[in-house]
Amino acid sequence: MSNLAALPIILPLLAGIVVAFIHKKTKIVRILSQVISVVNLIAVAWVFLQVQQNGSIILETGGWAAPYGIILVGDLLSMTLVLTTNIIAVACVFFAPQSLSKHQEEYYFYSFFFLLVAGVSGAFLTGDLFNLFVFFEVLLMASYGLIVLGNGKVQLRESIKYVLINLFSSMLFVTTIAFLYSVVGTVNMAQIAVRVQEVEQQGILTTIGILFFFVFATKAAVFPLYYWLPRPYISPNPVVSALFGALLTKVGIYSILRTFTLMFNQDVQLTHTLFIYLAALTMLFGVIGALSTHNVKLIIAYNIIPAVGFMLMGIGIFSEVSISGTIYYLVHDMIIKGALFLLVGALVYVAGTSDLRKMGGLIHHHPVLGWMFFMASLVLAGIPPFSGFIGKLLLLRGGLAQDELMIVIVALISSLLILFSMIRIFIRGFWGEKTENPYPERKRKAAKMAWPVAILLSFSVLLGVGAEWFYPTIQSIAEYLMDPQIYIDSVLKE
Amino acid sequence: MLLAVLLPFIIAIIIPFLSKWKDKIHPGYFVTIIPALIFIYFARFLGSNFEPVMREYSWIPSLDINMVFYLDGLSLLFVLLISGIGALVAFYSIFYLHKSEQLGHFYVYFLLFMGSMLGVVLSDNVFVLYSFWEFTSLSSFLLIGFWNYKKESRYGALKSMLITVFGGLSLLGALVFMTVLTNTTSIQEMISQQQLILNSEYFPLILALLLLGAFTKSAQFPFHIWLPDAMEAPTPVSAYLHSATMVKAGIYLVARYSPMLSSSDWFFIIVSSVGIITLCWGSYMAVRQTDLKGILAFSTISQLGMIMSMLGFGTKVAVFAAVFHILNHATFKGSLFMVAGIVDHEAGTRDIRKLGGLMTYLPITATLALFGTFSMAGVPLPFLNGFYSKELFFDASLHLDEIANVGVVGFIKMLLPYLAVFGSIFTFVYSVYFFFGTFRGKSHLEELPKKPHEAPIGMLISPIILILGVILIGLFPKWINEPFIAHAASAVKGLEVQKEIYFWHGFLYPPLIMSITVLVFGTVLYLSRKQWAPVYRIIPGVLSMNKFYDGLVDRLETYSSTVTKGYMNGSLGRYVRLVLAAILIVTFAFMAITGGFTVDTSNLADVSLPEIFVAITMVIAAVGTILTNNRITAILILGVVGYGLSMLFVLYRAPDLALTQLIIETVTVALFLLVFYHLPKLRKKEEAASTRMLNLIISVGFGAMMTMIAISAHSSKWFESISSYFIDNTYKLGGGDNMVNVILVDFRGLDTLFEIVVLGIAAMAIYGLIRLPGKKEEK
Amino acid sequence: MEFIMAILAGILFTTGIYNLLQKQLLRIIIGTGLISHGAHLFILTMGELKTGKPPILTEGVENYTDPLPQALILTSIVISFGVTSLLLVLAYRASQVNGTDNMEQLRGNDYE
Repeated sequence: MSNLAALPIILPLLAGIVVAFIHKKTKIVRILSQVISVVNLIAVAWVFLQVQQNGSIILETGGWAAPYGIILVGDLLSMTLVLTTNIIAVACVFFAPQSLSKHQEEYYFYSFFFLLVAGVSGAFLTGDLFNLFVFFEVLLMASYGLIVLGNGKVQLRESIKYVLINLFSSMLFVTTIAFLYSVVGTVNMAQIAVRVQEVEQQGILTTIGILFFFVFATKAAVFPLYYWLPRPYISPNPVVSALFGALLTKVGIYSILRTFTLMFNQDVQLTHTLFIYLAALTMLFGVIGALSTHNVKLIIAYNIIPAVGFMLMGIGIFSEVSISGTIYYLVHDMIIKGALFLLVGALVYVAGTSDLRKMGGLIHHHPVLGWMFFMASLVLAGIPPFSGFIGKLLLLRGGLAQDELMIVIVALISSLLILFSMIRIFIRGFWGEKTENPYPERKRKAAKMAWPVAILLSFSVLLGVGAEWFYPTIQSIAEYLMDPQIYIDSVLKE
Repeated sequence: MLLAVLLPFIIAIIIPFLSKWKDKIHPGYFVTIIPALIFIYFARFLGSNFEPVMREYSWIPSLDINMVFYLDGLSLLFVLLISGIGALVAFYSIFYLHKSEQLGHFYVYFLLFMGSMLGVVLSDNVFVLYSFWEFTSLSSFLLIGFWNYKKESRYGALKSMLITVFGGLSLLGALVFMTVLTNTTSIQEMISQQQLILNSEYFPLILALLLLGAFTKSAQFPFHIWLPDAMEAPTPVSAYLHSATMVKAGIYLVARYSPMLSSSDWFFIIVSSVGIITLCWGSYMAVRQTDLKGILAFSTISQLGMIMSMLGFGTKVAVFAAVFHILNHATFKGSLFMVAGIVDHEAGTRDIRKLGGLMTYLPITATLALFGTFSMAGVPLPFLNGFYSKELFFDASLHLDEIANVGVVGFIKMLLPYLAVFGSIFTFVYSVYFFFGTFRGKSHLEELPKKPHEAPIGMLISPIILILGVILIGLFPKWINEPFIAHAASAVKGLEVQKEIYFWHGFLYPPLIMSITVLVFGTVLYLSRKQWAPVYRIIPGVLSMNKFYDGLVDRLETYSSTVTKGYMNGSLGRYVRLVLAAILIVTFAFMAITGGFTVDTSNLADVSLPEIFVAITMVIAAVGTILTNNRITAILILGVVGYGLSMLFVLYRAPDLALTQLIIETVTVALFLLVFYHLPKLRKKEEAASTRMLNLIISVGFGAMMTMIAISAHSSKWFESISSYFIDNTYKLGGGDNMVNVILVDFRGLDTLFEIVVLGIAAMAIYGLIRLPGKKEEK
Repeated sequence: MEFIMAILAGILFTTGIYNLLQKQLLRIIIGTGLISHGAHLFILTMGELKTGKPPILTEGVENYTDPLPQALILTSIVISFGVTSLLLVLAYRASQVNGTDNMEQLRGNDYE
């Protein structure tokens, strides 16, 4: 039974290895990948339901009990995120053939893709800090593979920056793990949590905690560490951008959420106040970035950043309501960012340019694309009754309940500016005079690109309109996170 | 009731399919039926013995967001307006919009709006209300942008959206605040727990946020600027959204919360003064317009200001007059918009300078306009409903008995009657101008794009019905007073409001004197309007809020661009410097605040010479990588550091590490040399001294920080390491002698498995990098 | 001795970061190499340096050095090797395609 926890890692891992061996047979690989992704999604959904009904699944890998061996903790939070990851993966794998070149498909796109999913799922599931580092490396290495895929001039240039920043933060990560190990003598997260509670003198632990925060914040793109993000994210193929935008920063946010609810929750006053200020700055600078450019891809990439601010806001406020807001927002943002990057990929494909000033009147030729984009903008800006609203509402409620007025106002202003940055694309790109379609032959392929996006968007709508089906689960996750003892007890069964 | 609200949405989904047959039958016919049905459904509730109705449908109970519909007098007034005028406008649009237009889109937006608007006025749950509220803004955005090939349409659409969504978010802030304070999401319960909100220290902020939402939506000064630009929408839309219904959502909101808020002085001060300023400003601006719809837009602004100010007064008379005027305004303004649409449709222009003398060509339209404009002007005639509410307005401005006489409140109270008359004079002027400018005077047929003729009968039906309303309400105010208006007024005031409506109160009735003053001055101003032209040109000038808006939106883009380009310049060095500086500063700050730096020397290993020797070599080598200008030297020195490290591994009893490090270092150095061979030659370019200094500070600082944390961490070994378990059980459970190996392959086998995966991915990526041809250009 | 090792590792970080802040790609990569050496040394130091024999079970020895950090370093060394190799090849390809290895000339603009 407990072996189920490894399923979301093992399946994509095996898939990644298998498709690597037959990488030249593009057609087979393509269909195989699609089938495996769907199977994986179903499997993960099943595991999710198991966890929802029967509680966390703990897997002691190799049969070594915690805290000595590595354990995988399939709790509701992890499984929710793994499930969302796989939904995005399915959308991407169906989008990929439309958008990738033959070379890119041949040179291990699908392997990197599966291993990325394996790495991300592993990062969500592991209950061991050093193992988290290893999974980070897996997903990063897969992302390096994806970002350089195709050897474009710009792509290579931006990849170097991406690899270097991440390499540095990985080194910082592993060093910080060692520091923490020195103080508490273990790398098992549950045991760290236990021991941290017993320490009276918190100074050094808080300092180490802040280093961890910076390590994760670099991945999550929190102010002032997000500089590296926008351009490398738009240089590769849209499907790669979608995977990055949907998954990578969210792993960072997840790690902050996990570590700062489970382990570094002693000096809340100090650390979480810092988070609130950083969240405010992240939102503001993010939207300012989104308004600064006419490059549609870049607008979407910049829009990753304020969303990170929203999620960090919930962690900073640190109440049950706000944490559930963060989790809701996390799931929402993964889906909508995936959808938007794919959508903008299709948009740039049919327009033949990513410069907004050269577009116009596209809705006359691509109405479906246009209306999907309009809807995605509303979802992103948190207009009710779509998914963004529920998360935002919880965050605002949590914020005001704790008298955090400043961040609430910043959040409201950012929402308006996010909508502005998106609606600009709609007005300037889709509206306008009906002109000759520059690439009429691209219409067919664009239609094929549209339906994976439609699936993701319908999830967004469902997540908003059908909030009643999801919120109780999310709420129970928040309750669970606010009481680390439950996690500790489930891992260290004593 | 749920069905009544959702019906427009459901039909909106079907419309795109129906509009496929638009050549055979205009989809407007289907659409007209919907509001008509809804009107009939709600009209049943009319009557003097009306009691509020509450209906609950669960939606997201765990978040306390449910479809709770509350139908009281106020809601009833609005739902009847929305559905009644909706039906008339939909019918009118059949003749206004040609079949070649994108009718499917039009009616989808139209129905979306109608459903949302019904939702706004019926929802008792604040978040449901907010959802519908934003949807009215969005459907308005889409309708204004209906002819989006026009630049002005796009501009107007964006403007209305930014301003109303801004207000919407502000409203959301207020609603969340009130929810948190009262722990309920129901408006009625909030009102019953009003003390919690009124006594909160945040009350001024809540009031400000709520009013911002209302003022932006109802186009109150200075947020009115979006409404004139919204006139780019097709005329039926202007008649419906931007005059009769959507712009009254703000009024509705203020009225809805009146029972709670009106006890506050701030409510009186803000709402009545903003309202009265809007009244004056709007009517003054309307006089300057040359576009018929422009006149009507500013007129709407001004009339909304009037209603708003009456809500601000908060007295029984004022509240009664306010709800009465909501109804009256919808009738005469709706018909006037339709008249403007007819003129535009039949004469080809709405520019009043080109129009004139159309009475002979469009007699019926002209008659309708006569009634409409005179009612709007408040001309004292017994068959014009506008006069009654205008007179009640004057009456209300004179009888603010419930308001104190001191301070700011007293000052505003004193000014109100004068401002009311002042604003109404201009109302009179533009109303008269609208009628005489269009239908009387010399005609300039040669300047008109089309030869004017009377509109088709279908187009006339809707305005005729509305004008009939104007006349009937004027003649028989009793018919609607008790069964309808009184309920609405009571709902706003929170207690029973009864008011008889009379035409004649005697000659010395002060409001009548005010009306006559308006009539006299208005006539003089109208007749001498040529002399006033310079004044109209000068004011508003710099006062124009439009310039402010345009400037703001432009600057938002240019400033963001400047700010962002300022630091996001693509330079890796810059990024790394900023990232490191941030980590450095914050971490040091935390270390200082928490007293995280500790030194404990009790638990240290002895200092031994060989280690010192290796360490010094490594330091020299590491610094050497910086100092040397020769890259081969730098690579080789890096190798020295690596070998030094493996020496240390040996000294510290880590044989496996030493071996691995040795091999990997050798391979890495070889790789470095291989790549170096292919890299371009070094062009020596010195960095600026300041940059080098900064680099030095950051790198030394960071190294120092890491060292300090390391020392502190080492000095805080508070727990027994889990390693003892590995030492004890390596052989017993792991079956090996070498603990490191057993840990790697057994205890922590998962790490090792994925470590190999990492290497595998790296290999594939490298293979791809080498084998794939580089693309020189790519978009 | 631990403090000396911590200082040494700190110096490795310092020199590594200084190199990382240079323009030339090769120097930057050398910088990352130094940083990972520093990181590994830190991990080693965080175990205890003073006591015990190598962590290989031997008759009659009670006192061993902490084996866990060593295992972690081993994993980390292998991973950094993978990343460094990729980075080197990437640097080679990037400078070949772009015609320079000066990061300041590899800034780029918005519309590519």
